[in-house]
Amino acid sequence: MKQLFYLLIFAFLGFGALAQNPSFSPSSFTAEDEVTITIDVTGTGMAGVADAYLWIFSNPGLSGGADGITNGSWTNSSEAAKLTPAGPNKFTYKFTGTTMFGQTPAQLKSFGFLLKKKDGSAQTQDYKPYFFDPLIFVPSLARVFPAKVDVDDVVSVNFDQRYAVSVNDQRMTPATFTITMYDDLNNAVGAAVTLPLRKTDVTIWSGSFIPNVSFTPAAGRKLMKFTYRFNGTMLDINGLPTTVSSADTEVTFTSMK
Amino acid sequence: MLATIVFAACRPASFEDMGVQRNFLQSVNGTWKLTKATQVDEDATKKGFPYQQLDITNLFPYTSFVLTLNVSSNAPTTFLAVPGTSPKIVKLNSGNWTVDNLNYPKNIYLSNGASTDTITLGGYPVGASNTLKLIKEKRDATTGKLLISYSYEFAKQ
Repeated sequence: MKQLFYLLIFAFLGFGALAQNPSFSPSSFTAEDEVTITIDVTGTGMAGVADAYLWIFSNPGLSGGADGITNGSWTNSSEAAKLTPAGPNKFTYKFTGTTMFGQTPAQLKSFGFLLKKKDGSAQTQDYKPYFFDPLIFVPSLARVFPAKVDVDDVVSVNFDQRYAVSVNDQRMTPATFTITMYDDLNNAVGAAVTLPLRKTDVTIWSGSFIPNVSFTPAAGRKLMKFTYRFNGTMLDINGLPTTVSSADTEVTFTSMK
Repeated sequence: MLATIVFAACRPASFEDMGVQRNFLQSVNGTWKLTKATQVDEDATKKGFPYQQLDITNLFPYTSFVLTLNVSSNAPTTFLAVPGTSPKIVKLNSGNWTVDNLNYPKNIYLSNGASTDTITLGGYPVGASNTLKLIKEKRDATTGKLLISYSYEFAKQ
């Protein structure tokens, strides 16, 4: 009986963990799209409160950050920052990035936020960073094609050396890429997989895989995101080849139908 | 003179015979082997970004995929998808198929029991073309926004 009780408890916790918190509707959005945040504050310093206020900021950890225009002051949040209750410990808030931060789509890369009491006497942890979809193409060393992928798509990762800024990336001759897959509980799915790259342009190396072919999640789990890095060789100070890898880049799957 | 011109102008024009109406449904009847697969980033295309499409035919063994569409009495009946070693192109391997319009089909609906899948006809194998082109669209599950499409070309077996 006790085992059954524990099983039910774990099953309950498991189902709770399946829900993404916070969640966004739509799931992907540009800085010019209206997005609704839904957040459950259970287990935070804001659990049980009736009124919650949003404290939001752009580009956390990057240059060019700004506070949301609805923030007000820490000890006296503006009423425009008040969230709409959506059930016990649950709140929603609707905003558009460019309006909220008074910044252009080109300036807005990401945002973060927390929920607080009006007087700042209680708060949640920071939720960040959440990225806006770009409205302009931003070239980068590591790029996934297509830009949004689901678990059953052909995913091609691309290393474009024109945009390398570190010495290792600039000097590397890429040969393989390594993928580490994660499930919806943020646990690694199986062992990392390393696959060969092909040279597709003068400065570009590409490799392709199909996530749900290369990785199988545990029963009841689903693939949620992956990280990838490029591996290759470069010559050391003695002219001998040495193995190097790029930094990891993370990609979260987009649910498609 | 003027009367002749006016009279001649009033004669009914003679048009060439348009011929027999083409039977698009019958044109897709048969067994088709995949020859080309292209992946399109529809969002990048819409935004005018670079890197809009990729030929994936040889990245994976797509050309081993064979599709049979059966037509009887000018109506779709059964289908058979044999993937071989190809990645999955349609959800179902066999069952029945229907179309949205028997004369001018655009969407093909595959079904087997409660399971269904929809593919779009991108080109009929009629006239000068002997290629069957099917398109599989993938949309954001929340917003319905078109994000990716796969274009598959088939040759008649």
